[in-house]
Amino acid sequence: MIEEKFVIPKKLKLATYVLIAIGLVSFGWGFVTDPQRSWANYLLNNYLFVSLAVGAAFFISIQYIAQAGWSAAFKRIPEAMAAYLPFAAVFFLLLLFGVHSLYEWSHAEELAHDHLIQHKSPYLNVPFWGIRILLFFGLWILLTKWMRKISLKEDREGGMRYFYQSEHLSKVFIFIVAVSFSAFSVDMLMSLQVHWFSTIFAAKMFISAFLHGAAVITLIVIILHKYGYLQVLNRSHLHDFTRYMFMLSIVWGYFTFSQFMLIWYGNIPEETSYYVHRWHGPFQILFYVSIILNWFIPFLFLMPRSNSRSKLAMVPVIILLIIGQYVELYYEIWPATLHEAKFGLLEIGSWLGFAGLFSLIVITYLAKANLVPKNHPYLEESIHHHF
Amino acid sequence: MYKTSIRGKLIEGDKSLAQISTDILAPIDAKTPKWWYVAMTVSLAMFGWGLYCKYITLSQGIGTWGVNNTVGWGWAIINFVWWIGIGHAGTAFSIFLLILRQKWRTAINRAAEAMTVVAVACAGLFPLLHMGRPWLFFFVFPYPNTRGPLWVNFNSPLFWDFVAISAYLLISASFWYFGMVPDFATIRDTTKSKIKKAVYGFFAFGWVGSSKEWLRFEALSFVLGGIAAVLVVSVHSIVSTDFAVSVEPGWHTTIFPPYFVVGAIFSGFAMVLTLVTLMRKLYKMNDFITDSHVDAVCRILIFISLIMGTAYLTEIFIAWYSGSEYEMFTFFHNRITGEYAFQFWAMFTCNALVPQLFWFKSVRSRLWVVFIISILINIGMWYERFNIVITSLTKNYLPASWAGYSPSIIEIGFFIGTLGMFSAGVLLFFRYIPMIAVSEVKSIAKFNEEIQPNEDH
Repeated sequence: MIEEKFVIPKKLKLATYVLIAIGLVSFGWGFVTDPQRSWANYLLNNYLFVSLAVGAAFFISIQYIAQAGWSAAFKRIPEAMAAYLPFAAVFFLLLLFGVHSLYEWSHAEELAHDHLIQHKSPYLNVPFWGIRILLFFGLWILLTKWMRKISLKEDREGGMRYFYQSEHLSKVFIFIVAVSFSAFSVDMLMSLQVHWFSTIFAAKMFISAFLHGAAVITLIVIILHKYGYLQVLNRSHLHDFTRYMFMLSIVWGYFTFSQFMLIWYGNIPEETSYYVHRWHGPFQILFYVSIILNWFIPFLFLMPRSNSRSKLAMVPVIILLIIGQYVELYYEIWPATLHEAKFGLLEIGSWLGFAGLFSLIVITYLAKANLVPKNHPYLEESIHHHF
Repeated sequence: MYKTSIRGKLIEGDKSLAQISTDILAPIDAKTPKWWYVAMTVSLAMFGWGLYCKYITLSQGIGTWGVNNTVGWGWAIINFVWWIGIGHAGTAFSIFLLILRQKWRTAINRAAEAMTVVAVACAGLFPLLHMGRPWLFFFVFPYPNTRGPLWVNFNSPLFWDFVAISAYLLISASFWYFGMVPDFATIRDTTKSKIKKAVYGFFAFGWVGSSKEWLRFEALSFVLGGIAAVLVVSVHSIVSTDFAVSVEPGWHTTIFPPYFVVGAIFSGFAMVLTLVTLMRKLYKMNDFITDSHVDAVCRILIFISLIMGTAYLTEIFIAWYSGSEYEMFTFFHNRITGEYAFQFWAMFTCNALVPQLFWFKSVRSRLWVVFIISILINIGMWYERFNIVITSLTKNYLPASWAGYSPSIIEIGFFIGTLGMFSAGVLLFFRYIPMIAVSEVKSIAKFNEEIQPNEDH
């Protein structure tokens, strides 16, 4: 068994505090000068980091369901990422104050004369929207906390019992998250353009969460390895992490193409409005940038075997993927709310703030338990992983 | 490192490598069982009826079918999509499970690949005959011609279909065939019959099993596998665009490509399960196709069934959410309720609800229940295509052009003919080809030993 305790370096902790402070200052300044833009930033970062947490939790579940052995040693990292969910829940409830700045359907005067909004109002109304946030986060938090608890119990007691329990919970989790995260992305992003609809949208956002979640898990593993932790990490593990990013970026590209091509080919105004609104100026550039960052570069650079096993090749791709996620969400939110591509210190500062908080939570939870799960039945297999 | 104490055994009964060959190849040298003749006769009778219906179609025309101006696509297209979907399992098994390092796939992939080739051949017949003048089939090829500006329409998904499916058939057939070469060589070397020795020797390409040959063999499988993995996704995505690029309500929806791919793999896996349970029962392959194999396929089916369920719900939700009255009519008045409610609910029950029974270990471990559920999924997937094709076509934007549809006896016969063709193909496969990939099963035999040491890198 490997006894490995993560000790939070003082400097790192300080750095996260600084980042959080930057975020607070940015939001403070933003809400005074430009509230709507600040709410847009608030939504973007909230959604971004919550999808990382959900993506990480989904990653754990998939490992259990598929009975994957190689990843057992790295399970604590996605667990720590999923610990962000309760904090995200609070932030999302605060979003209720910003609902009027962001969502057209929440305006009474729009509701009065717009038939489509009236039609959608049984689903898209502020109280039900808030209830859904509560419900979704309640379920996600309950299940991820439960899984974490079982995982820690397994550390102490061992045996196959907790392994089967985790597997069972994973099944329940994917069952719930498939439906709830789909609805969540419709609520948060698709309803920004209240008249527009696309059936693949939810699936695309789900894959995006999984892709970027997997990328961030990999990044954290690599960083920990660099600082002397997780010495079990070998090239085969790296290759498997890469496969997740590679495969998911292909799926992301496939879903994105599928949405774009079918809407372009069908050429119905109800659907094309989304792209027409984004087919000029900076947004048109971002359309391509998003595809290049999220699909093209990972696809091309992670294809050779030597690259998929090299940290030197993986880290830049991961960083581009993180930027890619930001671009993807920016492309969703800005055209729908601010209608122009504003980008400045406010955007950078608010992202840094959230990133600082997310990192603080992740390192806190990493330090709370043994970094390598002790009695995982597949641990041996994971340590000696080689292909 | 593979711990059998945790993972379970991949092959039951502590077999030696030689024993594995003998056990799997036994049916080929054994006397043909009686049930085989019976099943073959039935299959050929069905196939014969199909031939008769094809003759009628060719000699009298598409008028002998139930299709009309409004419902221009009937059973033919439903069956085409259904068979293509089933034809996806072979590649899904061979490639996706290979990438995921699922060692248990080795016992099943041969059967799945064989099934693929026959199913894709069945599928191809439908568009061919639906053309009305199949002897002008070559018009779909993009080749220089003297017909003036008439040229294949590169904007048409029907042309993409042709390209994708012919590529898929070519690649999956080569993949299947090259995978069999080492096994043919084994039969050549072990059989006592001179004729068999000559025939299998011919198909074995002079394989001797040197390490050089194995290296090339593995490189080839990897390349063909990589191409086939892409084709599996592209074929059914393109089949879905046959529908989705139109603006028919119920067809034009952005989720169609992945939804079709998942549906295809779903029906393919269900058909694999049907075959595998039969193989296990009829040829007593319990040691190779163990309970945990059946269990694993069932688990995959629950997962895919969940995706299918989510996709159905998404479609229904967005139909309402879009606020489009045509979409709402199609989904709420023409599918969930109305004339075609039975077909809708048959689809929903068989694909989204019944497979949920696999959550229970007691269900997964009862072979006959598994068999029945696998058949129900096949039926459910057929109804899914019925739902998509017929409900959208019968009643669309203009009520004046609404029309009903019921298949004629000729169309039904055509479908039954392909069922016969499929089962005859599968029976021939059972009889003359090693139904489990011997060489691949041998490669996992070492995992039966307790602990595999591995050097770390």
